[in-house]
Amino acid sequence: MQKKVQLYRLLLILLLITLVVISLFVGAYNFENSVLNTFLNLFTGSERISASDHFVLFQLRMPRIIMAILIGSALAVAGTCLQGMFKNPLASPDLIGITSGAVLFAAVTIVLGASIRPFIPEALHYSLISIMAFVGAILTMSFVYKMSTTNGRTNIVILLLSGVAITALTGAATGMLTYLSTDEELRNLTFWTLGSLAGANWTKNLVLAIVVITGLLFLVGKGKALNAMMLGERDAQHLGIDVEKTKKQIVIFSALMVGTAVSFAGTIGFVGLIVPYILRLLFKSNYTVILPLSIILGSIIMVLADTISRVIVQPAELPIGILTAIMGAPVFIAILIRFKKTL
Amino acid sequence: MLKAKNVRFAVKNHLLLDEISFAAEKGEFIAILGPNGAGKSTLLSYISNELEQKNKTVLFKEKLISQWDKRELPLHKAKFSQHQAGDITLEIKDVVMMGRYPYFDNTPSEKDGQAVEKWMEATDTTHLKNRSYEHLSGGERQRVHLARVLTQLENNIENKIILLDEPLNNLDVSHQFKTLEIIKNLTEKNNTAIVVLHDINLASQFADKILLLKKGKLVAYDTPANVLTEEMISEVYNFPCYVSVNPINQQPLILFGQNKK
Repeated sequence: MQKKVQLYRLLLILLLITLVVISLFVGAYNFENSVLNTFLNLFTGSERISASDHFVLFQLRMPRIIMAILIGSALAVAGTCLQGMFKNPLASPDLIGITSGAVLFAAVTIVLGASIRPFIPEALHYSLISIMAFVGAILTMSFVYKMSTTNGRTNIVILLLSGVAITALTGAATGMLTYLSTDEELRNLTFWTLGSLAGANWTKNLVLAIVVITGLLFLVGKGKALNAMMLGERDAQHLGIDVEKTKKQIVIFSALMVGTAVSFAGTIGFVGLIVPYILRLLFKSNYTVILPLSIILGSIIMVLADTISRVIVQPAELPIGILTAIMGAPVFIAILIRFKKTL
Repeated sequence: MLKAKNVRFAVKNHLLLDEISFAAEKGEFIAILGPNGAGKSTLLSYISNELEQKNKTVLFKEKLISQWDKRELPLHKAKFSQHQAGDITLEIKDVVMMGRYPYFDNTPSEKDGQAVEKWMEATDTTHLKNRSYEHLSGGERQRVHLARVLTQLENNIENKIILLDEPLNNLDVSHQFKTLEIIKNLTEKNNTAIVVLHDINLASQFADKILLLKKGKLVAYDTPANVLTEEMISEVYNFPCYVSVNPINQQPLILFGQNKK
């Protein structure tokens, strides 16, 4: 077992590295020197680096890849943890409405923000949207949890329908805001609903990295607790697991990671659904194994989707949310078919 | 070992446990008996610290059980619950390994693996180790959880306590006896076992003491010979019975359904 895990971990890491390298090399821009030469020149300290080559590589492609890794791992780990907490493979942040809640708050902030912006300090302008997205995420998460769970047992139908309700509300609100908004705000909103990593830069990555790494540090060790919670909450407590604390940490840090991911890259759906699904095929629901691996697989899926989104219709770009939805919808259906059998 | 004093527990003004006091000493095998709704499972839940304790009523090793360190207690006390979850999507060996969760952070040690093997062997579940939990029968699941609970107490600590709520459900005769022998073995090593049972004759055969409950009240707490009398059993279960002597071990043997005359 341990060997199988190590093997897959190694394979996944190799795959991620390969994808990162490919992603660095492909794209709409034609390099004056090649990518390889730019790197070589940089290492040898040669002066012959074209400024635009350098810019594309280090200010466009690299930050984007890093952002893809951060957001991919954040969404995958949040999805895996939520599925463990709700004891159901359909409980991913987008299906139960948490992403929508974050978008709703972010959208309201963008449109109404214009009027309150003069009153808040400059430094808070950007983080305001992130903070509001986090608030939206945590509010919806508490809402769906309270709606669907009694005595530690989750009614999955209520859970998913709460998600539908919140998504509908968000749809209405974003529609309304679209109607009210100015041209520039409109472009912002489209970005929000379809998702994109095009806005990546090192400053954003720094903020994102702090949030995501904090979240991962708290959540990645929750495997034992999530496994034990499959026995029921009382039996988990007999194994020394602090169930209430575990659930609180999952709620807070998943909301934090999903909210921040949404505020930086918009709605990128299904990552939190696809990644645990694939890992479950290999390792069942053993969270001690699939939680750490979902960091790597989440990054892989995100880097892959983003690279395709940059390349497939170049020089234009396909919104990444479309690609993850194409990958995710079949997985969703596959889980439903399996779920139907257990009814 | 474990002392319960005036335990009261009510749900919505309905008194489930009414002033129950008893003490379990080390090395004792205690069977909780009583008709449906007598409060057997509630009592076991209460003394195992599952239910919120408002008063200072349960002492374990001279310390309030609610005051024990949450990580230390699982090394001294394990509980087997009556209703086992059905939707555990794990392999059996991973389910049993949960019993070692109080012992390691991320990766199980060799000792943990050995404990798992030892108790899977003892509970006849070794051949199931790579099977999926969802595909197991009721009796097999029951044995897997028994292995998990026993694995949890595999350490060098003295005078541990194991609480089992109807561990014999769904088990065939041979596994019922094997299970009771495993528990008996533990108590012979100075550990304490408190077990909710339905089969009065098995309780009579294995238990050192019997705790008889009716409608949340303690009716009797004594040796099988003193508790299992015709008057007491007929009265508590509200059903006629005849008590004979088990020819093999001379313990009381209860035959239900008819009076002597």
